[in-house]
Amino acid sequence: MAGLNLNDDETEGPVVDEEPPKVTMAREKLLEEARKAIEASEKGKRGVSLIVIGHVDAGKSTLMGRLLYELGRIDEKRRVANERGSNKVGKGSFSWAWELDGTQEERERGITMDIAQQSLSTPHRQITILDAPGHKDFIPNMISGASQADCALLVVDASTGEFEAGFERGGQTREHLLLVRSLGVSQVVVAVNKLDMVQWEQSRYDEILGQMQPFLLQSGFQQSKTSFVPVGAMSGVNLVNREGPDATALSRWYTGPTLVDLLDVLEPPSRNITAPLRFPISNVFKGQSAAYAVQGRVCGGIVQVGERLRILPGDESALVKYIEHEEENVEWAADGSNVTLYLTGVDPVHLNVGSVLCSPSDLIPLATVFTARVLVFDVSVPVTAGASVELFHQAHDVPASMSKLLATLDRATGAVIRKNPRVLTKGASAEVQITLRSSAYSGPNARPRPIPLETFAANKEMGRVLIRREGETIAAGVVLEIVS
Amino acid sequence: MKLVGKYINKDGSGHVSLRPEDDEDMWHLYNLIQEGDKVRATAIRRVQNVSSTGSTDSHRVRTNLTLEVTRVEFTPAITSSTADTTNAASTTAADVTASIQISGRVTVENPHAKMGAHHTLDIEVNRDVRIEKEQWDSVALNRVEEACVPGRGAEVAAVVCGEGTAAFVLLSEHLTTIRHRLTSSIPRKSSSSTLHEKGLNRYYQQLYAAFLRHIPYGSPTIKVLVFASPGWIRDSVYDYILKESERTGNKALMRAVREKGVRIHVSSPHVHSLVEVLKSPEITAQLKETKFAKEGITLDRFFKMLGSDEMRAWYGPDHVALAIDRGAVGTLLISDQLFRASDPAERKKYVGLVEAVKDKGGEVVIFSSMHESGQQLNQLTGIAAILTFPLDVEVVEQEEREAKEAEEEERRKAEVAGEDS
Ligand SMILES: Nc1nc2c(ncn2[C@@H]2O[C@H](COP(=O)(O)OP(=O)(O)O)[C@@H](O)[C@H]2O)c(=O)[nH]1
Ligand SMILES: [Mg+2]
Repeated sequence: MAGLNLNDDETEGPVVDEEPPKVTMAREKLLEEARKAIEASEKGKRGVSLIVIGHVDAGKSTLMGRLLYELGRIDEKRRVANERGSNKVGKGSFSWAWELDGTQEERERGITMDIAQQSLSTPHRQITILDAPGHKDFIPNMISGASQADCALLVVDASTGEFEAGFERGGQTREHLLLVRSLGVSQVVVAVNKLDMVQWEQSRYDEILGQMQPFLLQSGFQQSKTSFVPVGAMSGVNLVNREGPDATALSRWYTGPTLVDLLDVLEPPSRNITAPLRFPISNVFKGQSAAYAVQGRVCGGIVQVGERLRILPGDESALVKYIEHEEENVEWAADGSNVTLYLTGVDPVHLNVGSVLCSPSDLIPLATVFTARVLVFDVSVPVTAGASVELFHQAHDVPASMSKLLATLDRATGAVIRKNPRVLTKGASAEVQITLRSSAYSGPNARPRPIPLETFAANKEMGRVLIRREGETIAAGVVLEIVS
Repeated sequence: MKLVGKYINKDGSGHVSLRPEDDEDMWHLYNLIQEGDKVRATAIRRVQNVSSTGSTDSHRVRTNLTLEVTRVEFTPAITSSTADTTNAASTTAADVTASIQISGRVTVENPHAKMGAHHTLDIEVNRDVRIEKEQWDSVALNRVEEACVPGRGAEVAAVVCGEGTAAFVLLSEHLTTIRHRLTSSIPRKSSSSTLHEKGLNRYYQQLYAAFLRHIPYGSPTIKVLVFASPGWIRDSVYDYILKESERTGNKALMRAVREKGVRIHVSSPHVHSLVEVLKSPEITAQLKETKFAKEGITLDRFFKMLGSDEMRAWYGPDHVALAIDRGAVGTLLISDQLFRASDPAERKKYVGLVEAVKDKGGEVVIFSSMHESGQQLNQLTGIAAILTFPLDVEVVEQEEREAKEAEEEERRKAEVAGEDS
């Protein structure tokens, strides 16, 4: 697991500003090397990150645990330990999920609460797996994972009534799909799981496809970028192969690809290494030898060891001491990579989830007011001007309000239908102004803290936002203009 | 607040003397005192004496100042915060109470203050303030009455938590005071579950310490102790506090948590989730008579109506005024902020709307801007209405336009007729 070499967090002590590691390469040379390396990887294993989504209890964590085992990432000793541990607390059916549900609370409750990060490799891909929580209350964590992913693996539960429960309004199957799509994920593999519960009947599999396909299209997933695969996560059927007695029922009617076959052809992200560096922080912890570790995804540009980075918002900066990618130390990391940066020369109070690291010569703008083009989800209450919402951007969220409803737009052409509408109803496309709220009750002069934000035109990943209200995602949008 | 004296003439002019006793009373005064009022209170002035020998000495005297108000400012109680670093916790704490500053010109001369001189008054707890107005309207008089009901109303103490964050909040009838904010960085599980577990444990410890310091759990006015969060953090926090109180033999705390503690699910760890707390059945069952619960329920009713029948939920000053004109308003939601308008005509307009609704037997809920529901109403222009029958905004606007045009047409005709004769 990325970051497991951190067991020495006992080494408390002041941050010493030791001799800075040298910047190993001039920018031009670095870009050249990165370009070559990326080209070379096109022939070998290409990196791609995958978020695993779906309704709670669909079997996401079990599927990942079993897949890691089938691919040899979990050895027999560890499997036995997980089995014993889960049996002991009376959660034997979660033994595969234990590998991913690593915290005490997750194991006790049998529920994933935060993203688990793992890596696995298929013949042609090096895949960063982000196992997301399905439970409604942890959607913020799921969003933080989805903003770091290129593709999605949707797991649905085929057992009687369960697929329906996840798919209807209020279920997470729909909401997760809409969320990842809004965050720029366009490829999705749908794993139809727990077919053992319905005796591996082809008719059930086809029925589920019949319901999912139109919804996927409607939600903006092109048919060519969607695929389906029947699986049995628990018994490991059709993950890597269809061998063994558990797979015979499926083999009778299914001859298509296995899950790994599908993962092996996922389209890797295009890498924009000449863009300005953006590194939104999604996790902070204390690393080895007085360095602080920040996890996240490089969203544009390239970062190398020895570089000094600005931390926004704020005036602080930090020095990159090591970069860790897929459990290995690397000299640099490019756009689209999920990495851990080890920083020195900085007080950790300045390292917060939601802050963005940039090169000091090319800073990301800060915003408290901006306009966005949004698509309103299937809301139960229409959106009014002034509605109090939570604004999600990358790995964190802040209180905000829909300060102005500027116009409703035609979904297809983008033409203005109505200026200054009174409310936005479900399915509407609109241009709105969003203002961050100060969270104190301190009268009219309280000013909110700005967030690092960019227009969608400047940087797609940094220009996407999601808007939620009282636990419901009400809209997704792209930033048009930063007002102040 | 104590009512010390009150004299209102038939024409509505007159004065009221009040003695503020707490932060809540400061908020009342802030809402009562307007530009143009005459306010008398004690102030400290520094006086220099030149003695017969020529030496000077300066001393302070307390004197009564009367000002014609040009400006009123309210400063809420300060929120302290703990921003945690992985090394050490740095805490800023300040138990500063709310205050008001009034600026204006001296209207009654005395040996220490010249007529017309500019001066500032700091209103203090337990010192009388006399407010003289040319017009005591119904909203102002109601507020005086409400403020002077003896005894303090019920209060709620709440801890709103998320993973690594907690806000310690006190709610009274008109005020939300965030006593303290805690942020503790908990490494996420993707770093390592050991680091995560350790961070979580430290967070509980910090939260417990802050709870002892910032939540007056033993106070009899605190009716409910709320633990609110998404997920299950509130349960862990609740259990941790009970366990610690038992371990340390803190019986008062144990009793308070057992008797007054309620755990409420909210969808986000931000303080604005308090609206969800206030409309939850756990709170409305116990506290529906309190102002904050009533605001919460009413705002929720408005939004629900907006969802189910858009034509019966209107907002914005012009639209609401039209609905009132047509006798359609069953419940008026209006923020205290609108009555603080510096233009007296503006205030008068809103007082008129309130009276019109009441006259027709409608219900009026004046929201406090110092509650989350009031803040949300403020963002919605500060005024909204639930209608007793559906009205189409566009149709009504169209009718208004036509009526106006017809009126103008009449006038033009009359003018033409006048010229003819
Ligand atoms: N019968 C059956 N049960 C499964 C299968 N996959 C997962 N489960 C069970 O479904 C429950 C939820 O699994 P989990 O992986 O925690 O779901 P998640 O919430 O989507 O991560 C567990 O009790 C699993 O044992 C499967 O293929 N067949
Ligand atoms: Mg799970």
